[in-house]
Amino acid sequence: MTSFASCLTSPLAGAIVALSLLASSSMTMAQVKLGQTTQAGGQQEIATQDLVTSMSSDIVSIQSNFTGTEIVIFGQISDGLKKSHPDSKYDLAITVEGPSQDITTRRKDRFLGVWINRHYETFQNVPSFYAAATTRNVGDLAHRDVLDDNAIGLFHLNLPVSGHSGVPVNDRDDFRKAFLELRQQEGLYSERPGAIQFLTNTMFRTTVPLPANIPVGAYKVRSFLFEDGSLLARQEAQLYVGKVGFEQLTFNLSRNYPFFYGLLAVVLAVLTGWLAGVIFRRD
Amino acid sequence: MQLYLPIAEIPVNIFVIFGMGGAVGFLSGLFGIGGGFLLTPLLIFSGIPPAVSVATVTTQVVASSASAVITYWRRKAIDFKLAFMLLIGGIAGSALGVVLFDVLQSLGQLDLVISISYVTFLGTIGGLMLVESLRAIRRRRTGHVPSARRPGQHNWIHGLPFKMRFRQSKLYVSVIPILFLGSSIGFLGTVLGIGGGFMMVPALIYLLRVPTGIVIGTSLLQILFTMAAATILHSMSTQTVDIVLALTLMIGGVIGAQFGARMGQNLRGEHLRLLLALLVLGVGLRFAIDLLLTPENVYSIAIMKGAGA
Repeated sequence: MTSFASCLTSPLAGAIVALSLLASSSMTMAQVKLGQTTQAGGQQEIATQDLVTSMSSDIVSIQSNFTGTEIVIFGQISDGLKKSHPDSKYDLAITVEGPSQDITTRRKDRFLGVWINRHYETFQNVPSFYAAATTRNVGDLAHRDVLDDNAIGLFHLNLPVSGHSGVPVNDRDDFRKAFLELRQQEGLYSERPGAIQFLTNTMFRTTVPLPANIPVGAYKVRSFLFEDGSLLARQEAQLYVGKVGFEQLTFNLSRNYPFFYGLLAVVLAVLTGWLAGVIFRRD
Repeated sequence: MQLYLPIAEIPVNIFVIFGMGGAVGFLSGLFGIGGGFLLTPLLIFSGIPPAVSVATVTTQVVASSASAVITYWRRKAIDFKLAFMLLIGGIAGSALGVVLFDVLQSLGQLDLVISISYVTFLGTIGGLMLVESLRAIRRRRTGHVPSARRPGQHNWIHGLPFKMRFRQSKLYVSVIPILFLGSSIGFLGTVLGIGGGFMMVPALIYLLRVPTGIVIGTSLLQILFTMAAATILHSMSTQTVDIVLALTLMIGGVIGAQFGARMGQNLRGEHLRLLLALLVLGVGLRFAIDLLLTPENVYSIAIMKGAGA
């Protein structure tokens, strides 16, 4: 957390850094080779399938003037990578996933004329933030199983429910749908087909907006390379979202020393009230 | 200008919040109320999470009542012994309120309880005040001069045991109704994020027959301490007091209150009470409508565990 202050790079400056890093193929970038898991079976000549990505900044600092930001993700598909067919196209998917949460979805029903929360379903360990950027419609990228396994696309997110749910089985889909819709309305879940642009045949770029209400914590940024429906390469990076300075201090105080935090709030309130009395005193 | 709230974890327009604090402060200065019952719904309506709104308003009430208490203290219009007894009840009620707040929040029924309580209390008190102020206006028109205090007239409350003497209020009354009153209002204040002055003042005047001149200062002192306790209890239990939000609200509030108080001196008491009654009824009605009308979206989500819970 202490390193946040030193990493307040703007997206633009970060992008330039990212480009230069790409050019020098720096060691800071993780490279994951996927020799066996690809479905391009039997084609031994494409063993060097590589996907390299870099973010404009791997730290998002939340200060008092934070109103949301965006991260730029650059990537390069290795030149050594040969397509199985000369005219086949690459497809890409990049997902950004926030730290997990347990979220309860409730449904109101009319009870004695009054609308109250009745049925509820708790989704456990679901991402607090999820953004998917793809080159085209998620369903066209790959087979459903591949998308489900890698959580690519809103409808392929794994949303496990807690055991003690009182929701009728045929209503479960409604809860799932309502949950996804509400999260999308809050700007915390998104799926944007066509949001990844190719700069050259092998170089791509996308921008992921991070709204002002993003939760703090460690985020996973995953990139996937597809060709004709088969997953060629996968790469994962970390992104930290954290409060810095006064916001961090205040938050930590409220969590680590709640009594003193409360006392401080009271002292501030009494002081403000007293000060107003002194300033506006009329007699 | 946007300002990021460290506990609510959302940015807000600082001028909007400041304006809200000022407007509610103006009304609280005008009517001599804390204004929590107006501010909490306003904050919830503007997108602050309900739990943060309720807890933070308790802090704002501390500031607005502290300002007024100092004024009444100077005028020696506070019965400290009575306030102390009310306070003992108040702290017990607050502690119970925080527990219930936690339970309701985890059950997902906090909003319902807040709404129903608002409808019930605001409806009842607004209705009573409306009738009383209309009667007073009619009396003034017809030329009757009512005697506000009728000494010697007792009700059943004065027959209860454990009597105690309150010199400042010229009272000799049982501590049971005082403790009960203090704890009920402390409880409601913590759960609903209101000071409860609009309930405390009529109860002290009509039930305990405390002299009107002493009532407001005494009630405010009790509210000051109860809400201070509620702020600390909320900080420790629900951890939803947002100090930045509170500070913005209270600065707007204390400034607005001064202008309200000045304007209030130019208005007749019964006219003030009529306006307040309409305001209270209006807020109550707003909650009633929300409960009865079909909501736009029947689904809602709440974070139970993990980041941002």
